[in-house]
Amino acid sequence: MIRNIMALLMTLGVLSAPSVSATQAEDINSFTLDNGMKIMILEDSSIPNANMYIFWKVGSRNEVPGITGISHFFEHMMFNGSKKFGPKMFDRTMEAAGGANNAYTTEDMTVYTNWFPANGLETIFDLEADRIANLDINPEMVESERGVVQSERTTGLENSNWRTIQEALKSVAFAAHPYSWSVIGYESDIAAWTLADLQQYHKTYYAPNNALVVISGDVKLAQVKALANQYFAPIPAQAAPKAVRTVEPPQNGERRVFVKKESVSTPNIMLAYHVPATRHADYYALDLLASMLSEGHSSRFYQALVDKQLALSADTYMPMSFDPNLFYILGVANAGVSAETLEQALIEQINLIATQGVTQQELEKVKNIKLMDFYHAMETINGKANTLGTYELYFGDYTKLFNAPEAYNQVTPADIQRVAQTYLIKANRTVGVLAATEESDQ
Amino acid sequence: MKTVTHTRIKLSLSAIALACSIGISGCATTQKTTADTANPVTASFVLPSYQSVTLDNGLKVKLMVQKEVPLVTIDAVVRVGAVNDLTSGMAYITSQSLMLGAAGQSKADIEQQLDFIGASINTSADLEGSYIRANMMNKDVDTVLNIFSHVLRQPDFDATEFDKLKQREIVGLSQQKESPRAVIGRYFNQLVFGEHPYANPVSGNSDTIASLSIEELRAFYKDYYQPSNMTINVVGDFNVADMTAKLNKAFGDWQATETVLQPDLSQALPTLTKPQVLLVDKPDAIETTFLIGGVGIRYNNPDYVGLTVVNTILGGRFTSWLNDELRVNAGLTYGARSGFSSYAQSGLFQISTFTKSSTTKEAIDLALKTYARLWEKGIDQVTLDSAKAYVKGQFPPKYETSGQLAGLLSDMYLYGFNDDFINQFQAKVDGLTLAETQRLIKQYFPQQNLQFVLIGNAEQIADVAAQYGEVTTVDITATGFGQ
Repeated sequence: MIRNIMALLMTLGVLSAPSVSATQAEDINSFTLDNGMKIMILEDSSIPNANMYIFWKVGSRNEVPGITGISHFFEHMMFNGSKKFGPKMFDRTMEAAGGANNAYTTEDMTVYTNWFPANGLETIFDLEADRIANLDINPEMVESERGVVQSERTTGLENSNWRTIQEALKSVAFAAHPYSWSVIGYESDIAAWTLADLQQYHKTYYAPNNALVVISGDVKLAQVKALANQYFAPIPAQAAPKAVRTVEPPQNGERRVFVKKESVSTPNIMLAYHVPATRHADYYALDLLASMLSEGHSSRFYQALVDKQLALSADTYMPMSFDPNLFYILGVANAGVSAETLEQALIEQINLIATQGVTQQELEKVKNIKLMDFYHAMETINGKANTLGTYELYFGDYTKLFNAPEAYNQVTPADIQRVAQTYLIKANRTVGVLAATEESDQ
Repeated sequence: MKTVTHTRIKLSLSAIALACSIGISGCATTQKTTADTANPVTASFVLPSYQSVTLDNGLKVKLMVQKEVPLVTIDAVVRVGAVNDLTSGMAYITSQSLMLGAAGQSKADIEQQLDFIGASINTSADLEGSYIRANMMNKDVDTVLNIFSHVLRQPDFDATEFDKLKQREIVGLSQQKESPRAVIGRYFNQLVFGEHPYANPVSGNSDTIASLSIEELRAFYKDYYQPSNMTINVVGDFNVADMTAKLNKAFGDWQATETVLQPDLSQALPTLTKPQVLLVDKPDAIETTFLIGGVGIRYNNPDYVGLTVVNTILGGRFTSWLNDELRVNAGLTYGARSGFSSYAQSGLFQISTFTKSSTTKEAIDLALKTYARLWEKGIDQVTLDSAKAYVKGQFPPKYETSGQLAGLLSDMYLYGFNDDFINQFQAKVDGLTLAETQRLIKQYFPQQNLQFVLIGNAEQIADVAAQYGEVTTVDITATGFGQ
C-alpha cells in the first residue's frame, strides 16, 4: 500500500483520458474543527459502504527505552473499554451495526480503520469519539492483552524471515534514533508497561489536534460535517506532543549483523542504506530506483539474480517516513548459493547503477508500473482513504498530490545515478545475514 | 508481505485463513446501487450486469463493464487442477510454464513488453482450476491480448527455462516450510482427504517436480487447455462490442482437438472414522500452529450462506466465540478463527490458531471447549442478529474491483452456481432463523472424529498431541505434505 501512495503521484498527467473517472483534487473536501482535528471526505457511491480512517501521529518513533512497543500496545488497548462503551463493546457495537475494524502501527503513525455499511456512519462516530475522549484502561484487560501482543511478536518471528532479520538490522543501523527498535518493541518492555504509562500516552498523543480523519464512501459532506461537530468537536485539544529531538548521526562505515535461525533453508541477505525523510526532494528518484531494481520480471534484480538462479527472490522496500530512514533490500539465496555470493551480487547491481546509470526507457517503464499501482489503489474506497491520509501526513498537504506528477516527471536518468552514488554506498550500508549456521572464522 | 507495520487482527485472522483455504475465493458480488443516505436502509446486493457471449468456436465469454478506473482484467479459467494430476504438481507447473515463452517470443521478451506498459499476466492453479489473468490499462488491450492469446494457445515450453523453473520451485518448497502458516493447510488437506484427488497438494513436492518432463507437460496441456474446457471473463473499462470483436479475432478460430476426461470427484469422498493427529516437527519452533476440523461442504451447497453466518459467530469475526475466548479472554494467541473451504464436490472445515509451545494444550482444549458450545448452548437471537448484520455489511467490499468480479465469474464457472447465488445472498441471510442454525450445526459441523495438524517442536508437544487421537509424526523438512 505504501508504494501505491507514490503511484498516486504519478497519475495526473494521464487522467484527462475520456473514460477516466479516477479521483481528482476537487473531489476531496476537508475542514478542521476548532480543536485542531482535520477531516477529509471523498464521496464515492460505487458500493453502499464507507470507511473512516483515523491517523494518529504517534508511532515507535515517539518511544524511549523501557517503553518500546508501547505505541503498538496502546493501539490494542484503544479497543478495550471507554466510558460509554465498556470492555469488548467497541467491537460488539460495531459488528452489530455491520461494521468491522482494524488498526496498524508504524514507526511514525498509528492508524485505526473502520469499514461499515454507509448507514452505520453515526455509530462509528459515536464509538470513536467515546474512546478518544474517555478511554478507561482496565488492568485486567492490560494483562490479557500483553499475552496477545507477545503472541503477535512470536508468530511474526516464527513465520517471517523479513521480520526476524529486520529487527536485528535496525538495532545496528541506528545508533541513536528511535527507529532503532522494532515497532512491536522489546520482549522485556512488553512485559513491563504500567497503567500509568498507558494513561499518559493516551493523554499526550490521542488529542484531536494530533489526528487526521479520512472518510471515503457513500456519504455526504454535510452529513459528515454535522456528525463531526456533534461527536468530535467537543473533545478538547491538548498541548502538542514533544518533538522527537534525536537526529541519527552520520554513518561512516559499513556495519554488519548475523542472525541464526535453524529452520532457514538458504541464507537471507538484508542490505539497508540511510536515506532522507519522505519530504526530501530525492524521495522521488529513490522511489523510482527501488522499482528499477525489483519490480517485475524485467527488473534488474530478477534478470541478474533470479533468472540466473542465484536468488529465489530479491526485493526492495523504502517506507514513507517522518525522519530519515532506511532503503531496504532483501535477497533470498537459491540452493547452494552462499550468503557472501548473494550479498556481492546484490551490491554489484546497485553499483552498476551508480557507475553506469540507467536508460530513459527503463525510467519510463517504472513510471508506467506505478501508474498501474495507483489505479489499483484507487479502485476501492479503502485504497482511497488510506492513500489520501498517508499522503497528507508524509508530504504535509494532500493537495501537493496534484503537483507531484511534475516532481516525478522531472526525475532524469542522471538523478537516478546521482542518488545511487549519494546514498547507496558502502560506508552508509548495514548488512544483515540470516542463516541456519554462521560461517566459521577458519 | 514485507510489512513493517503491526496490525491488531489482520495478520492473525487473515493469514491463517489464507493458509487454510485452497484457492477458493468468495461467494457473491457488489451491488452498484447507491444507498439513500438521508433515509439509510441496507441496500440490496445485486450482481453488476454483464453480457454472456459465445464465440464462433463455442468458447463462452462473459463481459462486465466497470468504469471507475481505466483498467481491464482478462481472466481465462481452465477446468484442470491438481485433481487431474498424473504426477503431483503437474497442473500447477503447467500453469507456470505458460509464461516461459510463447509463439516464438522468449520469456524475457514477454516480460519486458508487459512491464514496459505496466501490465501483467499471471498464471496459477489450484485443486480444480488453472488461471491466466491479465491486468492492463485499457489503452493497452490490443498489446496485452495478443500476448495473452499466445501464452494460452501457443506456449513454447522452452527447455532451458523449464529446468530453471523446476529448480526454483523445488527450493521454494523448502523455503515455504520455514513458515508453518504457509504450509499447514496442505498437511490438513491431505490428512482429511487421504486417497481422494482432493488430497493432492497443488504445489507437488520436491521429488515429483524434479521428475516432470516437458513431454508430460505438453501432453497434459493438450488434454485440458481447449476452448471447450474453459471460459474467459473480462471485467473493467472497455466497450463490449469492441472487446467481443477482439476476443473473436484472438480465440474464434481455436478448435477443440481432444475429448476432455474429468475424474468423478463425487466418488470415494472420505469418511473419517477416528480422530487423527498429524504432528509436524519443526525443532526450532517457538510456537505451535494448529488446525482442527474435518470434512466441510461443497461450494454450491444450498446452505452455504447460512453456514457463513453460523461460522461468523463461531470463528469468522473479531468478536467470534473462538477469538473472544482464546485471544481476548485468555491472551493465548494473536488470533483464532474457523472457516469452511469449499470445492466443487466437497470441502473442509477447520479451526485455526497458534500459541506459544508451552500453552499448546491450554489453547487446544479451549478451542475444543468453545467449539462444543455450538451443540451445548447454541446461538441466541441477539448474536444471530449481529452476525447477520455483519455478514451483510462486509459483503460489498469483497466484490468492488474488476479483479474480484472477474474471480467471481470464474468461480461461477468452476463451481456451478449462477447469479442467484449472489442476488439471493441478502435474502438468505435475512431469512436465517435460530431453528435453522440448529439444523445447520447438527448437519454440517463435524463433531466426531476430529482431525488435527500441529506444527511445532515435537519434543515439547508430543505428549499433548497424543491426547487428541492417533498420532503420526513427520519432520517438516521431509518431502511431501502428509503422512
